[in-house]
Parts: sequence; C-alpha cells; structure tokens
Amino acid sequence: MSSDACAYTDYEDGEVPAGFPRTGEGATGAEAEVWDALREVEDPEMPVSIVDLGLIYDVTVEGDEAQVEMTLTYTGCPAKDMLTNDVRCAALTASGVRDASVSIQYSPPWSVEMVTDAGRDQLREFGLSV
Amino acid sequence: MEPAEAELFRLADDEYVLAERYTEWQIFAPTPESDLALANIAQDEFGHARLWYDLLQEEYDYEEPDLLWERDPADFVHSTLVELETPEGDWADTVVRGYLYDVAERLRLEALEDSSYEPIADRVPKVQGEEEYHREHAQSWLDRLTGSPDSHQHVQAAVDRLFPHALTLFAATEHEEAIVEAGVRTRSLSELREDWLDEVVPYLESLGVEIPEPETVVRSDVLGRDGTHTDDWRELHEAFTASYHELGFDEPAELRGDRA
Repeated sequence: MSSDACAYTDYEDGEVPAGFPRTGEGATGAEAEVWDALREVEDPEMPVSIVDLGLIYDVTVEGDEAQVEMTLTYTGCPAKDMLTNDVRCAALTASGVRDASVSIQYSPPWSVEMVTDAGRDQLREFGLSV
Repeated sequence: MEPAEAELFRLADDEYVLAERYTEWQIFAPTPESDLALANIAQDEFGHARLWYDLLQEEYDYEEPDLLWERDPADFVHSTLVELETPEGDWADTVVRGYLYDVAERLRLEALEDSSYEPIADRVPKVQGEEEYHREHAQSWLDRLTGSPDSHQHVQAAVDRLFPHALTLFAATEHEEAIVEAGVRTRSLSELREDWLDEVVPYLESLGVEIPEPETVVRSDVLGRDGTHTDDWRELHEAFTASYHELGFDEPAELRGDRA
C-alpha cells in the first residue's frame, strides 16, 4: 500500500511460515473438539475468532490433558491473562478433557498475514482494511 | 547463576525500568500525539520485560513476586541510564535516553539472534519487530529538536548528562565471560560498545551535538549492572512496588476474623 497514511505503520506484507496459520484442519477426536471450542473464543478487541486470527499454533490432547500453544499479536498485549484463561476454559469443554494448559509462543512471530480468509472477511466487516 | 539466566535479568530489568520512566509522561507529554507514541513504546517495553521475566519463571523457577515486587532493589541489574529521574518537563532527556538505549538494544538483540540458548533466540525476532519504530520515533524527534537553538541546547545537556550512564549499558559483570563462552550472546559487551559508539557518535555529531570522548568521560560511580544504583532508583522502586505492598499481596487475605 502506498502510504499517505501513518508513516510509522508498516503496511508491508509479512511472511507466512509454511504450515501457518493452523486451523485444526484434519484434526480428529478430542483435538478436533478443542479446535471447535477455540473457534468460539473471540479476540477481546475485535469480534473475530482467535483461530481465524491465526493465534493458535498447536493443539494436542494426550490422555485427558489438552495442551494449547498460542501466540499474541504483540508482546505488550494487555489481554494476555484473560485470553489464556478463555482458551484454557474453552479447551476444558471438550469431552474427555479434564485438564488443560496454555503456553505462549513467540516463534514464528505473528503477522496480519496469518489471518485466515474467513478472518479477513470478518475484519473487513468490522471496518478494518486488510 | 546460569549464563542465560544472567543475560535474561539484564534484558528484563532494562526494559521494565525504562518503561516505568516512560509512563511518567502519561498526560504530561508535549502533545497528545507524542503522549500516545510514548505510551505505545512503554507498552512494548513492558511487553518485552514480561516476555523475558516469563522465561525466567518457566526455565528457572522464579515466581513473579521474586522477580519484581519482593525483589531486593539491590538485586536489579539494569543500566543506570534507564533508572535516572527525568528532569521535570525535559522532553529532550527522554528522547536522548530512548535513542541511546534503543540503538544498544538493537545491537544486543542482533547478538542474541543466534543464541545457543534456544528460548532466547526463539523470542528475538518478535521483539526486534517491535523495536524498530522506537528508534524511528527517537530519531525523528532528535532531528526536530536539534533544529532550533533552544531545544538543541536541551539535547546537548541531556547527552552530557546521560552519556556516562549510557556507557553502563555495556558494563560487564562476573557472568560476562560465561555468557559469551556459552554462546548465549554471540558478541561481547566490549564489541557491542564499539558498534554502538560507531553508530551513535556520527549520528549525533551530524546533528551538531558534541559527544564526550568515551575514554575521558567521568564514569558513573555506580554501574547498575552490579546492583549498585543511583538514589533515583530507590525512589522509583518504592513507587512501583507501593501498590503491591499497600494491597498486602505479601500477606494471605483473610475473609473472616479480626483481620478480615
């Protein structure tokens, strides 16, 4: 985008690492259920699912324990505790899951390029230019 | 202390304390625009501090109170540059401090990109991506401030005052040798200091700011890095831990009985 807009915002496309965004496609059983539950969690600032924002990096369920790896759009995100709690609670709704933990990953760094097509549509509807 | 642990404390403490000083400008910055910009930068620095403190918790079994609220102020290892009280209303001080720090920060992060300690290397790109506009912000203000004689004087005074403290960014501790030897950081502090001087000196001189000769600078008698600090730090530490102590988080809450 040529920019007469804010000179300090980077409008360049970020690179999307291979395999991202992860959306739970192909997941089965309890893991698929966790992905479905996570799809219901919205970003606190935008009415978009955190899965469509590309924030969920991995879901594994071993036995009755779910583990979710996710990222934040930026390191200073003030909603970190709230989001991780929402994600943990969502994971616990999957049948057979009795315990859930959430870890924050910063690699690969999230960029707007990791938003899914469905996420982009919702962001546009919300009034953002993506 | 492990070499990576020692490096993490330097990283986290620098970012945290700098952010504390930045937030003091909230509602006082010269314009709403600069207020927002600095608030945003402070938020980033807090975010980076949190990311490094989180790592100390995950990898070295610290709890948040050990790292911040109940930690002895003499155990903090940030550079004295970031703890100094900002002279009242002196915007040039904050701009110069931010510039001197942010260049050093970029060089340090570059030297951590290939850290042998995976959890650090893993987080560096995210942090770097958020640091770039901090330098742009500082430089665009420096360009403006050095454009008129009055504000130029403020910049010069800030450089004179802050430069000796900026050199403590590169002060070594007993862990330095181990940090480099283990490959936690791929460049030594003295190499980083040379790189930093090669960048900040010509840039500031191009703006007509005089830089003291590093070898002749009267060194700060406290280094920050070794836990020795200025009196400004004591006051700042008291201020940012005050609410924690007032709320009594260090004592268990009692819902019933005499102390409820």
